[in-house]
Amino acid sequence: MARSTPTDPPIDLLAPVQGEVSWFCCGTAWGPCSSTGKGACGTCNSGSLQHAWPNTSDACWAITRPDSCGVSLTRRTCGFRHRITALCTGASVVTAIADCGPQTDLFCGERSCCGATCASNRLIDLTPAAYTQIASLSSGLRPVEISTA
Amino acid sequence: MRSRRDVLKSAVLGGGAGVVAATALGSLGPEAAFAAQKSFATQQVEPGAPDPNFAEGRIRSIKDNTLLVLGSNMVFHTIRVVDGTSLWKLGPVPFDQAKPGDGLYARGVLMPDGILAAEAVWLNIVNIKGHIRNITSQTIHLDHNGQDVLCHVVAGKSVAVHSESPPTADLSMLKVSQHVQIMGAWRPDTNEVDIATVFSPH
Repeated sequence: MARSTPTDPPIDLLAPVQGEVSWFCCGTAWGPCSSTGKGACGTCNSGSLQHAWPNTSDACWAITRPDSCGVSLTRRTCGFRHRITALCTGASVVTAIADCGPQTDLFCGERSCCGATCASNRLIDLTPAAYTQIASLSSGLRPVEISTA
Repeated sequence: MRSRRDVLKSAVLGGGAGVVAATALGSLGPEAAFAAQKSFATQQVEPGAPDPNFAEGRIRSIKDNTLLVLGSNMVFHTIRVVDGTSLWKLGPVPFDQAKPGDGLYARGVLMPDGILAAEAVWLNIVNIKGHIRNITSQTIHLDHNGQDVLCHVVAGKSVAVHSESPPTADLSMLKVSQHVQIMGAWRPDTNEVDIATVFSPH
């Protein structure tokens, strides 16, 4: 499949960007998560305030390819902090990058809403500890705004 | 006005009287609980650091309203459930649905004595992504990072969400080889999951 190069400038460079957030487990864990490692940064733990970002390296970008959904995101590396604000409630959390993800290209165009408030494309994944700061784990997927902290 | 967290805290500190106070709030479903009081709180924990008000692990034993949980990192957690605590196990459930062996995530308030006063407990909850390998009317075989996970459709519980469309109990639109996210309840010590929601991008 032909891939396009990222558009310039990235949409999150100068202003907050809206997208979908889900949650993922990492580090030592139970159940289907037990085979999950500590993530691309080697520090990821479900109980820490961390997140996965689709552009942490060339290798990461080659997997996640948000550009194939028409979204370009800035390269940010392990430990970089983002503020994630739930569009449903206004609750927010500041977290640090600990892994590469989500695989944005596999969910291109997906849109999640709460009421009339919606956002498209999976741009970030939170650890359970971080996700539960802004929503219930049982919600699974939520529209958020992502900004630098 | 006292927050829900304040009430949960007093429920543990104050024993029986506090539990009654928590009951006055009712046992909210997880979504309602978060919508009710998560807004605009000041973050106390450093980004990237472990959150002391959060716990994960598996239940080793249950005594009265207290869960003794062994974390996957081998740290023990004592989690106190009060009447205001929301519990989830494929949906909102009463406390008696918590069983030894269940995996869990819990959020609450860590008390000075080390007990976590639980605001919400999610039992066996998993949220996995993968390709659909096979579908029958009652099951979805999911390839999750090369691991085969057998996902069961549960009548009256399982729904599919196709992008922004409302949840539907009709899972017939899902196709073999497509990528999905399945949120559900793990069956302890198996590679099987009961489906709560299948998120499909289209």
